[in-house]
Amino acid sequence: MSAPILHANNITMKFGGLVAVDQLNLKVFKNDLVGIIGPNGAGKTTVFNMITGIYTPSDGEIILEKRNINTERPYAISQLGISRTFQNIRLFKDLSVIDNIRLAGHQGLTYSAMSSIIRSKSFKTAEKKLTEEAIDLLKIFKLENKKDFLAKNLPYGEQRRLEIARALATGPQLLLLDEPAAGMNPNETNELSELIGWLRDYFKIAILLIEHDMGLVMNVCERIYVLDYGKLIAHGTPGEIQNNPKVIEAYLGTEVD
Amino acid sequence: MEYLAHLTLNCGIFIILAVSLNLINGMAGQFSLGHAGFWAIGAYTGAAFSVFSPLPIPDWMNLFIGCGIGGISASIAGILIGIPCLRLRGDYLAIATLGFSEIIRLLIVNMDVVGGPRGFTNIPKWANLGWVYLWVVITILFISNLMKGTHGRAIISIREDEIAAESIGINTFKYKLMAFVIGSGFAGVAGALFAYSQQFIHPNGFNFLWSVIILLMIILGGLGSITGAVIGAVILTLLPEVLRLMGETISQWRMVIYSLLLIMLMLWRPQGLFGKKELNLSALLGRKKS
Ligand SMILES: Nc1ncnc2c1ncn2[C@@H]1O[C@H](COP(=O)(O)OP(=O)(O)OP(=O)(O)O)[C@@H](O)[C@H]1O
Ligand SMILES: [Mg+2]
Repeated sequence: MSAPILHANNITMKFGGLVAVDQLNLKVFKNDLVGIIGPNGAGKTTVFNMITGIYTPSDGEIILEKRNINTERPYAISQLGISRTFQNIRLFKDLSVIDNIRLAGHQGLTYSAMSSIIRSKSFKTAEKKLTEEAIDLLKIFKLENKKDFLAKNLPYGEQRRLEIARALATGPQLLLLDEPAAGMNPNETNELSELIGWLRDYFKIAILLIEHDMGLVMNVCERIYVLDYGKLIAHGTPGEIQNNPKVIEAYLGTEVD
Repeated sequence: MEYLAHLTLNCGIFIILAVSLNLINGMAGQFSLGHAGFWAIGAYTGAAFSVFSPLPIPDWMNLFIGCGIGGISASIAGILIGIPCLRLRGDYLAIATLGFSEIIRLLIVNMDVVGGPRGFTNIPKWANLGWVYLWVVITILFISNLMKGTHGRAIISIREDEIAAESIGINTFKYKLMAFVIGSGFAGVAGALFAYSQQFIHPNGFNFLWSVIILLMIILGGLGSITGAVIGAVILTLLPEVLRLMGETISQWRMVIYSLLLIMLMLWRPQGLFGKKELNLSALLGRKKS
């Protein structure tokens, strides 16, 4: 097998006395579709926060294509090709839908601040291109007819979709989704399952997702990591995970007999 | 007549100050309380140029060079202050910038070449109403054009959600600094214009109360709105004069009346007069036509 694009090597995250993530080993390969599951407070979001540079691991190393990114700032990690969504949606609420996307196209910026002040030709062509690309992306997410809405005025399910679109607009090679189906109705969740697989193939990216909706996880993920109290308790295909006694125990609590 | 011209000119200076502070506080969401410091730097460097080494060229050219010197000096100060301070958040940034502006004022008080505590006199009258308002237009165009491009949107994204902005690859520190340096630069220009129109400047004219008043202007107009900053600057420049016309007693209660008006505004319209909106001339005209 080829080398992983992302390798979390024995990463640990301590908050004071609390060990939120305990020596986790995790690999993501090209075109992977991997899930992380676990009960509330298991440390899933903390893993994302370490990978994206919001927290620096207390121990261990995060390797992105042979490069240690432990102490990189979040914007730099995004520029290196890891992009994410948040458990509690973080859109630019008072900006329009299209501006949310255009902002994420910022990395391909080809003109200087001065060009925008004097409205130079390079400014105009670059902005035109940025807008066209944003509209293409919005079409994929069926949001193009709402492009001028303020993000906060979208219904919940569409806000989730917009956040995924914004993450993709940065042109990532690895997309992290933190509970993308949270708050969606069964219909929207079904659509999302299909969309996730499709996005992976269309954009040729790897996806790592956290989800509580077991139907969705078992359906779309090819491999699953199970965390409990910060520790990895199982790793395998959906079939293996469903029948793993440790996993069943973690979810149902210790059986009393 | 001269009184009216003087008031109009002051409005122009405060419009530049408010629009530039709005870039830092309203657009980038960074709570700076040091604007009077940058204003002072621009005023004193601009004045020093005009008194000690004006060039043998027409006054209006000297005026532009002087405004450039004032603006660039204030920008450089903005870089030096911004690099350490913009890593601080909220209240800490406010306190650090406030401290900086008071330090600037104390430095000036102790500099005898520029008059120290007696003030700086004999500054040539290079600026008039026309030149001031030319700079008002330059400032507004510069900042509103900046805001319509990707750099401007990146600045706004910091105010909206800093973590989200970083997550899509925006170097938030760089854009905070950009807003801070451009904002302080224009405060410096306002300072030079102020010196060239008043012909006399005094360190107490730049104490921290002025930073607070400029802040009140943009809160009144609506944080994040350039139109709001302009209106806020005009209202708070004219209000004390209006109160003065209403008589001695009312004038003495000026600060109390200010505070009451502000409290009322905050209860009635906490987002300020304009919110984050801009006055859009073409939209206004278009609506009238249809
Ligand atoms: N910044 C922080 N400071 C202190 N404790 C934290 C911090 N962030 C997370 N924790 C703690 O770490 C543990 C793991 O939290 P985390 O958010 O990663 O869980 P999770 O698996 O994402 O849970 P959920 O399914 O509820 O989202 C929790 O006990 C949480 O309280
Ligand atoms: Mg979580």
